[in-house]
Amino acid sequence: MTAFNFILISILYFWASSTALSLGIGYYTVYRPVVSGFMTGLILGDPFLGMAAGAVVNVIYMNFVSTGGSFKGDQCLTAVIAASAAILLGLGPVEASAFAYPFGYLGILIWKYRLNINHIFVNKYEKSYEEGKNPDISLYDGLYPQLLLYLMSSFVVGAAFLIMSLFDNMIVEYYENIKIFLFMAGMFLVSYSVISILANLKNKYAYISFGLFFLAVIIFNIGSYWFLAAAAIILFALSNKNFRMDNKRSNKNNNINKKDLMYAWFIWMNFSHSCYSYDRLQGLAFAHSMKNIFKKLYNEKNEVSRAIHRHTEFFNTEPNMGTPIHGYIISVEEQASLNANDTDTAYIKKGMMGIAAGLGDSYTQVVLTPLFISLSVMMCVDGIYTAAFLPILYLAGSILFISYSGWMNGYYSGREYLLERINTVKNSKIKKHFPHIFSGILGVAVAKLILTSLESTNTVYTLSSVVLSAAAYWVIKRSKR
Amino acid sequence: MRSSLQTNGGIMKNVVLSRIDDRLLHGQVVVSWIPYIKANEVVIVDNEYAEDEFMSELIKHAAPENIKVNLFSVAGAADYLKGSDDGSRILILSRCIENINELINQNVEIKCVNVGGLGNVKGRERYLNSIHLSSQEIEILKSIAKKNIAVDIKMLPNDKAVSVE
Repeated sequence: MTAFNFILISILYFWASSTALSLGIGYYTVYRPVVSGFMTGLILGDPFLGMAAGAVVNVIYMNFVSTGGSFKGDQCLTAVIAASAAILLGLGPVEASAFAYPFGYLGILIWKYRLNINHIFVNKYEKSYEEGKNPDISLYDGLYPQLLLYLMSSFVVGAAFLIMSLFDNMIVEYYENIKIFLFMAGMFLVSYSVISILANLKNKYAYISFGLFFLAVIIFNIGSYWFLAAAAIILFALSNKNFRMDNKRSNKNNNINKKDLMYAWFIWMNFSHSCYSYDRLQGLAFAHSMKNIFKKLYNEKNEVSRAIHRHTEFFNTEPNMGTPIHGYIISVEEQASLNANDTDTAYIKKGMMGIAAGLGDSYTQVVLTPLFISLSVMMCVDGIYTAAFLPILYLAGSILFISYSGWMNGYYSGREYLLERINTVKNSKIKKHFPHIFSGILGVAVAKLILTSLESTNTVYTLSSVVLSAAAYWVIKRSKR
Repeated sequence: MRSSLQTNGGIMKNVVLSRIDDRLLHGQVVVSWIPYIKANEVVIVDNEYAEDEFMSELIKHAAPENIKVNLFSVAGAADYLKGSDDGSRILILSRCIENINELINQNVEIKCVNVGGLGNVKGRERYLNSIHLSSQEIEILKSIAKKNIAVDIKMLPNDKAVSVE
């Protein structure tokens, strides 16, 4: 690995784990192991081997949700290390994932302290504001925290590669002897993840669906593109055609045009979690996204600065499902500036944000993401890498559409649009059938993974890993009671 | 031992937990708290939202499946909660500690107060993670704790609870 490779990988890890500067879809794409593994592979000269390793890591992290639950390690760093180990040390995808797994815990250091560290920038912004200096919110929400995060990320990647280099010789020299242990550890992690996913779906048909698809693939070795095509048809049939785009202009006196709205949305999507801190969460990001709007609504610098500052208070929502709030607040602020009166937007924002968050997380993170990411993983473990990008592109497109249409409709149709959105999501057929479809895809993916690994190892090892992980799951479940 | 707290001849409604949280019915509450305490009814106590037609409708629409959601002013909530027990397990949510305190003062039976996300507004200091409290709010919590009501400061059910000092 050259210094140039290292710089590129540290930029990749920063970009993916920051989830900023990627139009809000980084969290659903480059942050996911299957994509970050591919990109690491691209840097190191073997993109598809990197993607294969990333796909196995992705199975281990399939049930990751940012809103709590079991937070294992950092999936992105695990994928970067797994892909590097596969390419540089010649490990198989399963073995590389097992080797990389402990490195994930190095990655959560960043996540753990990010919320504390960003407090510095909140304080600096507040201080500057109080001194009447009209601080530029884009520095405190955007540039400074991202610079610091880049330093932290490259430090973590550096540490990870340093630790990895200590094992280089040992692994290359004794690979034949330790291969089987790494393989079993990898299969253990995969199997443990799948067992806990199925158990958490709490749906007996999910087990049946998983079992049926798993057996069908094991026995008949059906090509995964058939399943991709079937999933595409089913998901299209179930999809919501209700997420509408309604740009009819109300006859209010508009200062704000569509370009302003798009720019504000663009800022929000790129920086919603840029300065994520315990005391404000997305507060600074909300204010940041309103910067160009207030610049248009007010002429005087102090007024702009004061209006932006008003919006830096505590704010947190699901960044894509919650965009009707932003659109609506822009229209309220616009009216207030025209009538020269003060509005209490804080109260409206707070009321709407929690509801949009609960609704959003239960849809984008819990349903859409695992559904499309698992389809991509399924294609990867079957060795069909180019098609593996289709589900991810579709996921990214859906997120962008949900977010953009919410923003525009919130502005043009008002806060009632959030009500409409709640009903659309609540009645979502994809959400309703998610456990069955998702467990079926998992069944195919796991079966393909086992079939591929049988080419180089004995069934006994795979089976013992599965039994061990089931036993481990049972013991852990019991001890938690 | 609830028989000592009877009103109107019946037993009061069963409040399993009351939580103070800026975001009221949001993700953490729906995904973690409601299953954890096995609640099947949520009572939101908020004077402002109770009067706002849009917010009432929004909150009711957002109710998770099989959970009844009611929104009341403090006075309305006190009346409702003192009504007779119909077997439901109630989670009270409010943005203000004062509201919960008022319910306690009006003899609504509350056994446990949980303080979750409270944002940083003027006068408040950071207490724990995303929980900020003013000195007055800490005093109210202390007075509640003195009445032998459990006061836990924590975001999620499995977090380590911090008590008021």
